Amino acid sequence: MARLAEINKPIARWSVLVVALIVLVATWDLARKSLVIGTVSDAPLVLAAIGFALLYRLTGLINVAYAETVTMGAYIGMWVNTTFELNFYFTLIPTIALTGLFSVLTYFAIFRPAKQRNVGVVEMIIISFGLSVFLRYGIQFIFGFEFRYYDVPVQKSLRVLGVGVSPFRITALVSALGIAFLLIWFIRRSRLGIQIRALAGDENLAQVSGINPLAVTVLIWFLAGVAGGAAGAFYGVNTSVRAWLGWDQFLFILLVVLIGGARGIGGVIIAGLATGVVLSFLELMPGLNTTPVYAQVIVIALFMVILKVRGNRLAEAGKV
Amino acid sequence: MNLDWLTQYVVTIVILIVTTVGLALLLHLQMGLAGIGNFGIVGFYGVGMYAFGIFLVHLPWPESWGMVAPVLASLLFGTVIAGIAGLLVGWLIVDLDADGILLGTLGFAAIVYGLSQTNRTWTGGAEGMGTTDFPYDIGTIKANTLLWLGITTVVVALILYYVIRVHRSPYGRLLIATGQNEALARSLGKPTFRTKMVMFATGSAAMGLLGGMYGVMLHYIRPVELGIGITLAAMVGLVLGGQARAWGAVVGVVLVGVLFELVFLIWIPFPTEWRRQSLPVIREMLYGATLILVLMTRPLGILGRMRRDRTVRRPAHD
Amino acid sequence: MTESAAVPVSRPSVRIQDAVKSFDGRVVVDVADLTLGKHPVEGLIGPNGAGKTTLMRMVTHSISLDRGRVTFSTGTGAPDVVLSSKAPHAIARRGVVKTNQVIQDFDQLTIWDSLLLAASKAHDERALKIFREPHVWSEYGDEIDEYLNLFPFDNPFGFAKSAGEKKLLDIIRCLLLRPKLLLLDEPTAGLPAGIRDRVMELIKKKATEENVSVVVVEHDLNVIWNLSDYVHFMAEGRVVLQGDPPWIREHATVVEKYLGEGHVGR
Repeated sequence: MARLAEINKPIARWSVLVVALIVLVATWDLARKSLVIGTVSDAPLVLAAIGFALLYRLTGLINVAYAETVTMGAYIGMWVNTTFELNFYFTLIPTIALTGLFSVLTYFAIFRPAKQRNVGVVEMIIISFGLSVFLRYGIQFIFGFEFRYYDVPVQKSLRVLGVGVSPFRITALVSALGIAFLLIWFIRRSRLGIQIRALAGDENLAQVSGINPLAVTVLIWFLAGVAGGAAGAFYGVNTSVRAWLGWDQFLFILLVVLIGGARGIGGVIIAGLATGVVLSFLELMPGLNTTPVYAQVIVIALFMVILKVRGNRLAEAGKV
Repeated sequence: MNLDWLTQYVVTIVILIVTTVGLALLLHLQMGLAGIGNFGIVGFYGVGMYAFGIFLVHLPWPESWGMVAPVLASLLFGTVIAGIAGLLVGWLIVDLDADGILLGTLGFAAIVYGLSQTNRTWTGGAEGMGTTDFPYDIGTIKANTLLWLGITTVVVALILYYVIRVHRSPYGRLLIATGQNEALARSLGKPTFRTKMVMFATGSAAMGLLGGMYGVMLHYIRPVELGIGITLAAMVGLVLGGQARAWGAVVGVVLVGVLFELVFLIWIPFPTEWRRQSLPVIREMLYGATLILVLMTRPLGILGRMRRDRTVRRPAHD
Repeated sequence: MTESAAVPVSRPSVRIQDAVKSFDGRVVVDVADLTLGKHPVEGLIGPNGAGKTTLMRMVTHSISLDRGRVTFSTGTGAPDVVLSSKAPHAIARRGVVKTNQVIQDFDQLTIWDSLLLAASKAHDERALKIFREPHVWSEYGDEIDEYLNLFPFDNPFGFAKSAGEKKLLDIIRCLLLRPKLLLLDEPTAGLPAGIRDRVMELIKKKATEENVSVVVVEHDLNVIWNLSDYVHFMAEGRVVLQGDPPWIREHATVVEKYLGEGHVGR
């Protein structure tokens, strides 16, 4: 039973902040480390979540196969990087462009035909799940089971707040946030961005006012692919490249978008970074630090409870 | 009768297929009737399997009880624990949108998979734990496995019978109504949340039972068993057969299972190297492609839509 | 203009007190004190956007109230029930039932299915009662048959096809719930004329003979003048006028002049 009165109210924002502050002060040493590690290592999660949120919020689609867009980003980036022996940052531009195209390709091959056939909501999720499985195992079939790596120089680690961090991860964070803010700017401020939001609001109205829905939808898919590709490239360069890379992150992408997405891209960024920090905090906590899996289990359970407490947003949408 | 073609390996594969039929039947109740897209079947199945294993291995069963009673008690325990998990997860998700349900069920499966690898003393960690041999001995290994196949088939047949009866009962009508227009059902005085909770929890319990029973067959349970494969197989079978029909799960899973598991992986003489490496990968690719193709071209699968206009009639002896 | 709420009522009725609902900051319903159901059939009229449907949905709690409360009195002396804190299905169980303005149906349920669903009680619908079907047919079949004889469907074992059939099905479903207080939201829209008259006749009969309190929202004012014993006139979220149909008819023109043309309708 949805608690109807609670819908649309903020999730006890101030009390949460105060508690967070107390935890921060009380456990400064732990908090310091988790802040740095969480923010730095989960920057790609933020990017990936932004891409997923673009599709979710603007086209209303839950695209499970987005996980494979992220994986493709990692593979394409590695291919560009090792084939042309380019510096990682130079590879980013062709990588995100190609992943964007890949994303548009999935739209034309699968999601557009599906939408034209008026597939139901659950069926649409299953279709994207099927595509995700197909692509994931397809990638595994082509590239095999082994982990692959980017060809990047080993760098000396820097110290941030007393925690050693590879400079690579810091630049990854900066670029991730840079790309994120560019996307936000593009959608909020540019003429095309306004068209995108108009289309999401009311397709018929947008069409009447001279917007080409197909072009704008393609643009949305391209941008989602760009964000996913960049995320994949950063995941790949930070760790390794493998067929399950995107799928391993998918649950967290979904968590971040469902929790933060209601408040727009800003909410996604905050929820993404918070997830990273909480994860590292739990992973470093005495008692839990022997088994990092516990941290993930706790975070997933926590987010499920938050989702429940926030209630069903569609409760009032029915016409009965 | 010459049963040489029926190797020990083939029998275990048939047990897997029958178990998957059972899971797909339960998914049919959840997804096909009540509209709850459960992407975490393996979570409930896994809870049942591990709860069964842990209970059986770590409890000091008296010698005098023999083998049957502890196994039965442990299976019951696994069922109950899976049911409780279903109650908990159901309470969290059944009144959410499809996206919340996706998150909740996937998340639960991830939690179960994660926990199955920790706590070495209880679960054996990543290497897994030995549980039990079949709780009887009637001769050869193959004969024992065949008997277990028979027992599993009886259980799945009971599930099938239940599902068919549900289609012909007021409860089934309520489930269908809830799945199709929940707000309208509620306005007719139907407690839809509780209905979905009960259905989800009983379904989860039965999934747990199937997990435990498959755990008996395996003798040795490992986290690898809790990958995405079983969820995928049940879903592909159900979608192909027809998710709105009781027999859809049976038709679809048997078709997919015989084709991919038996013909493709065993009976066609592909080189051994392929069988180990690339064929399972290709099989999963084909599963994914099947989901897409069926839902795009024939969304209700082979059997098509529910034909209540043909089946619902006044009972004869009224 | 407004009646005193202190008059004892022996009919099932709901009392709406201090109830406010707004969407996006716009107040849609703002009712200080209103009792529905003191007369067998009451009409609820008013211009489009007056908040009639919203008010009804507040009574059945399919939308929540920003403020205020709704209480239900069975009229039999049983203690009043606060509906605004009950779940929608619990409200329907207590006999406060609403038909739908927009067509609502279960796509995969046949007409018989739909009616059996409405008639079945909670104890028929438990997960383990898989042999309950014959009982349900023998228990409710005759009652359903009566309705089907009164309102013939094209094929009662098939699906409701036309909009008219779906609308009629919606109304019969609600009647099978044995309502104490029945809210009809534009019952005649989409119904063929012959069926419409029969529905109205039946409603009138239920109201007078079976002590069901009926509240009708209707745009066709002729239905209101013929059917109702009392009329509430809503405008801009408030009940601005109450009285007998002739009285309202007389004064509605005043309201119309006051509020501007086109508010009262044909």
